[in-house]
Amino acid sequence: MLVLSRKPNESIVIDGRIKVSVLRVDSGDAVRLGVEAPLDIRVMRKEIYDEIMASNQAAAGSAGMARKQASKLKKQLAATP
Amino acid sequence: MITIEKKRTEGPVQSPAREGLAPEETGLELHFPAGLLGFEASQHFRLIRDEDLEPYQWMKGLDGEQAFLVIPPGFVVENYNVEISDEDQELLGLENPEDAMVLNIATWHTDETVTVNLKGPIIYNKVTSQARQVIPLNAPDLTLAHPMGN
Repeated sequence: MLVLSRKPNESIVIDGRIKVSVLRVDSGDAVRLGVEAPLDIRVMRKEIYDEIMASNQAAAGSAGMARKQASKLKKQLAATP
Repeated sequence: MITIEKKRTEGPVQSPAREGLAPEETGLELHFPAGLLGFEASQHFRLIRDEDLEPYQWMKGLDGEQAFLVIPPGFVVENYNVEISDEDQELLGLENPEDAMVLNIATWHTDETVTVNLKGPIIYNKVTSQARQVIPLNAPDLTLAHPMGN
């Protein structure tokens, strides 16, 4: 992993098109970052990425089983309030 | 920001089927320029009806083996509102909320329960055919694993 020290108002540039700036360092642990990137670069908090990715992977992995359990799926749907 | 609202759906699921074609040829093709989260390379999917499973549908990858079970949120919750960021709106080319079709991914669990991901919905622009799995601005209020029935 590349490790760099940056102060508030300093930045790093990734691939000439993504700029990550340190905006503020709170007295606590929080570092406020600003990201400037092209629209098609998806920037998000890693926790959210991880949970949606895990959900997608579980869903993809369960597809074959769901196919075999069609009647149960329909029954659950009918029971959904 | 644009807000997409979907209310409880009554009656049969809207079907994109056309007569005289095999089910795998009838479904809408969804183009995801950014893929799905964790499946970034999977950019082309087709929606496939499955009479045994309606209103669930299959979203089948055209450049891989993946298949996802998806369902419109109108069959899951009473009211489903998602707030779409300006960036996602621009990427989708979405001008009117009415142009958006919303699908949520379902997971079958080994304990025979089904949950639906309301936090990372798929938004499809019916006008441009562009689709994207978005994290809505109101994601903190949405459930990652909403349980279906019992």
